[in-house]
Amino acid sequence: MHWGPLCRFLWLCPCLAYLQAVPIHRVRDDSRALIKTIVTRINDISHTQSVSSLQRIAGLDFIPGLQPVLSLSKMDETLAVYQQILTRLPPRNVVQILNDLENLRDLLYLLAVSKGCPFPHSSGLKTLESLDGVLEASRYSMEVVTLSRLQASLQDMLQQLDLGPRC
Amino acid sequence: MGITDDGNLKISWSSPTLTPFPLQYQVKYSENSTAIMREVDEIVSATSLLVDSVLPGSSYEVQVRGKRLDGPGAWSDWSTPHFYTIQDVLYFPPKILTSVGSNVSFHCIYKNENKLVSSKKIVWWMNLAEKIPQSQYSVVSDRVSKVTFCNLNATKPRGKFTYDAVYCCSEHECHHRYAELYVIDVNVNISCETDGYLTKMTCRWSTNSIQSLVGSTLQLRYHRRSLYCSDIPSIHPVSEPKDCHLQKDGFYECVFQPIFLLSGYTMWIRINHSLGSLDSPPTCVLPDSVVKPLPPPSVKAEMTVNIGLLKISWEKPIFPENNLQFQIRYGLSGKEVQWKMYEVYDAKAKSASLPVPDLCAAYAVQVRCKRLDGLGYWSNWSNPAYTVVMDIKVPTRGPEFWRIINGDMTKKEKNVTLLWKPLMKNDSLCSVRRYVINHQTSRNGTWAQDVGNHTRFTFLWTEPAHTVTILAVNSVGVSVANFNLTLSWHMSKVHIVQSFSAYPLNSSCVILSWMLSPSEYKLMYFIVEWRTPNEDNEIKWLRIPSSVKKYYIHDHFIPIEKYQFSLYPIFVEGVGKPKIINTFIQEDIEKHQNDAGLYIVVLIIISSLVLLLGTLLISHQRMKKLFWEDVPNPKNCSWAQGLNFQKPETFEHLFFKHTDSVTFGPLLLEPETISEDISVDASWKNKDEMAPATVVSLLLATSDLGKRSFCASDQCNGANFSDAEGTEVTCEDESRRQPSVKYAMLVSNSKSSETDEEQGLINSSVSKCFSSKNSPLKDSFSDTSWEIETQAFLILSDQHPKIISPHLTFSEGLDELLKMEGNFPEENHDEKSVYYLGVTSVKKRESDVFLTDASRVLYPFPAHCLFTDIRILRDSCSHLVENNFNLGTSVKKTFVSYMPQFQTCSTQTHKIMENKMCDLTV
Repeated sequence: MHWGPLCRFLWLCPCLAYLQAVPIHRVRDDSRALIKTIVTRINDISHTQSVSSLQRIAGLDFIPGLQPVLSLSKMDETLAVYQQILTRLPPRNVVQILNDLENLRDLLYLLAVSKGCPFPHSSGLKTLESLDGVLEASRYSMEVVTLSRLQASLQDMLQQLDLGPRC
Repeated sequence: MGITDDGNLKISWSSPTLTPFPLQYQVKYSENSTAIMREVDEIVSATSLLVDSVLPGSSYEVQVRGKRLDGPGAWSDWSTPHFYTIQDVLYFPPKILTSVGSNVSFHCIYKNENKLVSSKKIVWWMNLAEKIPQSQYSVVSDRVSKVTFCNLNATKPRGKFTYDAVYCCSEHECHHRYAELYVIDVNVNISCETDGYLTKMTCRWSTNSIQSLVGSTLQLRYHRRSLYCSDIPSIHPVSEPKDCHLQKDGFYECVFQPIFLLSGYTMWIRINHSLGSLDSPPTCVLPDSVVKPLPPPSVKAEMTVNIGLLKISWEKPIFPENNLQFQIRYGLSGKEVQWKMYEVYDAKAKSASLPVPDLCAAYAVQVRCKRLDGLGYWSNWSNPAYTVVMDIKVPTRGPEFWRIINGDMTKKEKNVTLLWKPLMKNDSLCSVRRYVINHQTSRNGTWAQDVGNHTRFTFLWTEPAHTVTILAVNSVGVSVANFNLTLSWHMSKVHIVQSFSAYPLNSSCVILSWMLSPSEYKLMYFIVEWRTPNEDNEIKWLRIPSSVKKYYIHDHFIPIEKYQFSLYPIFVEGVGKPKIINTFIQEDIEKHQNDAGLYIVVLIIISSLVLLLGTLLISHQRMKKLFWEDVPNPKNCSWAQGLNFQKPETFEHLFFKHTDSVTFGPLLLEPETISEDISVDASWKNKDEMAPATVVSLLLATSDLGKRSFCASDQCNGANFSDAEGTEVTCEDESRRQPSVKYAMLVSNSKSSETDEEQGLINSSVSKCFSSKNSPLKDSFSDTSWEIETQAFLILSDQHPKIISPHLTFSEGLDELLKMEGNFPEENHDEKSVYYLGVTSVKKRESDVFLTDASRVLYPFPAHCLFTDIRILRDSCSHLVENNFNLGTSVKKTFVSYMPQFQTCSTQTHKIMENKMCDLTV
């Protein structure tokens, strides 16, 4: 029980070093800009434009959808899932998005540190290995739905960032 | 075996292959030096052994054998012995590769002649050229010396040697072995640029600044930090190499793709060499901060209708998402566009409207962008967009127009032709589709006629007043400001132009000016009309504001033609009566041209005259000098010895003797020269020094009998002889019989009130033989009362004393002179015929009359030429006579002198001469 606060302190030390060098408003601005960049990248992938929002896609429930309120930790968790899924998609279209997501998670981490929030890095889905079969069978659906939902999630995160997200 | 950087001997070997178990090794070596000799056995598990305390000059023999480390086993055989000898000078490290600015140290143990040199006595040298300061030495032990180099500079290659040779020496001797120091400048600038899609970062660096080191390789290494760069970039122990490719421009190019936009990439260049590796100073790049955006897409340019601004619109490029600033450049479209810049700092702006001078021209426009916070680079310029020339606004005005009335002016119905000039672009903005003529009359009201794009229209004028207006129409609308012209029977008789004149300046410009008389009508403007020669009904016209009184017409006027200029006053009520003039362009133009030519000719003439005058003066002076200086001095003549030339008797006698001795022909056989000697002795330079009395004497002598000459001296006031101090005249003739002497004496007493020119007449001295101021004659005259007034007289002598001109009157002054000088030595006084031609002071120069007060002889006498125009008569008496004739008639012969008439002349000639001289009194 007594090791917990110490570990948290040790974990926060490098983060605080970051924050000393980078103003938090820059982190916030960069987060917004990066989210917009990812959204634009997804927009730039032509086949994602045609996905209808009216039709529900069954069998892909493991892909995160819109959530009413997103905390910083929830955002990180969502992004971690998307990272996991995207790494299994063909790299041609999504490799840059993957890098952007990693940067975005680091930014959220800094934001959380700046707020003094406990922010354990999410490791994503634990049962993702079982979805490899689905990915093999429906690669297109997987990519389109993932990117579409990621785009929506990012836009939602953008709004949350403007409002000042909770820990 | 080798010496380590620490000065130890390292014995190393390789393990035998294909051994499934670890081994242990036994090393046996013997050390043999002057100081010690020992044998050592050591067992080690590694494949190397360090031997410390090695000494220069020592030799080592080494053998190794192996055995299983754990468990049973036997030693292998000993390896073959290896020998290693350490040199007399031991450097450690023997070579150092380092970078600029770093600090390094060398150690040395020096053995000289089998004796170790004490470290305190070791000195260090660099390149055998310079001694390293002792402040850089330190003593490590009794035998080991150390030298330290701080803040090293790059090694300058010396030929093929790319290192500095560091020598460890005793006080007076250095061993030939040395240590090598390589100092490399590894400052490499790495610059990166992220593409507009934010997916690729390209980094470039050049090796130009890196000194080539044989056997070295270069490699870019980087370390990615998850977010941002640290304040002070440092080389991270964990790094990755990046493949870079040499480009044609000598730069290495490395591409990072994909990238982490917000990760800090710390990069450096590593130089790998057998001596070690060097790293350039690291640099950290954030891909997001070095973005070169894509140029703004969808750039459009247009001229805004009704506003008249150049409107440029663009879109924001998809990346980056940061706020952007924009730069616009625009210019008239053409081969070489002169760009003007405009900057937009509003990140949300997507268009800009700019005023441009020419609304009806095609403009080229380009836009580029950059992050508003200044990070990154400017994008490339967008593709140029061009404006299309189209109608921007309604025409600013209608066309200026004029009318020609055709047909009989007395009739009430006339054909009127309207002429107008097509609107230019800046008035039509930017084109005219058609013209519309509005008519207005009292009887028929108003009506309009579309005349299309024509610039001439004829209609019938039937009513007393007819107002026409011409409108210009383009795609935007109809011109607002238009000109009216009222054709009125009544107003055509209103005359307000009082005067009207035209002054051609040249073949392309005519000045018109006019005067107006007061009028009750309101004057709007004038129309000037001029007709082109030789082309009927071809007129040109101009509209001139009413306030102008003078106007320059620029046209091509044919210089030989007659032009008709008409000035029409245009009133609100109608066109007034014109003033018409005709002008010949040629005459006036030529007049102006001639005027200019005349000035040039006058200048040339004046210059020529000045030049001529100067030449004449110079030649005159030269001639005088040549002429007068050649006259011989009669005093030097043998026949003149013993004669007193101051007395007239001497002179007279000289010639009377000659006359009497006609029979002594043989005496006349030998022609002698006849000399006329005039000496001018005067001070010319200073007026104040001028002698008041002036005596001018003229002597002519024949030399056949007495060979006597007469010399007279004179002093005059005057300056006409300029700087000449003396002037001589010599006349020679071959007179052989009846020598006759007519001599003249001019006695002048200048008055101070005379003008300079008058003074200059007389201020001279005659006779070279009496040129001195102290001459007796001059002195004899100087004290006379004649000095009061300037006088001159001529003394004439002839062999015929009875012939005396009744018109001649002796001068009183001359009588006195004769009295004063009356003691002539000769006895034949009564036989002398002396003619006096009185000449006295100059009364009036202007009239060129030389007047003697006493003798009342009136004769034109240009005083200023008194002594200047004496001519020499050499050849014949006739010339002399002729010259004397000229005295009365020619102005040039201004010196009224008595000239001798020689025996060789005929009696008739004498008579003519005497008559002529008598005529002088007429």
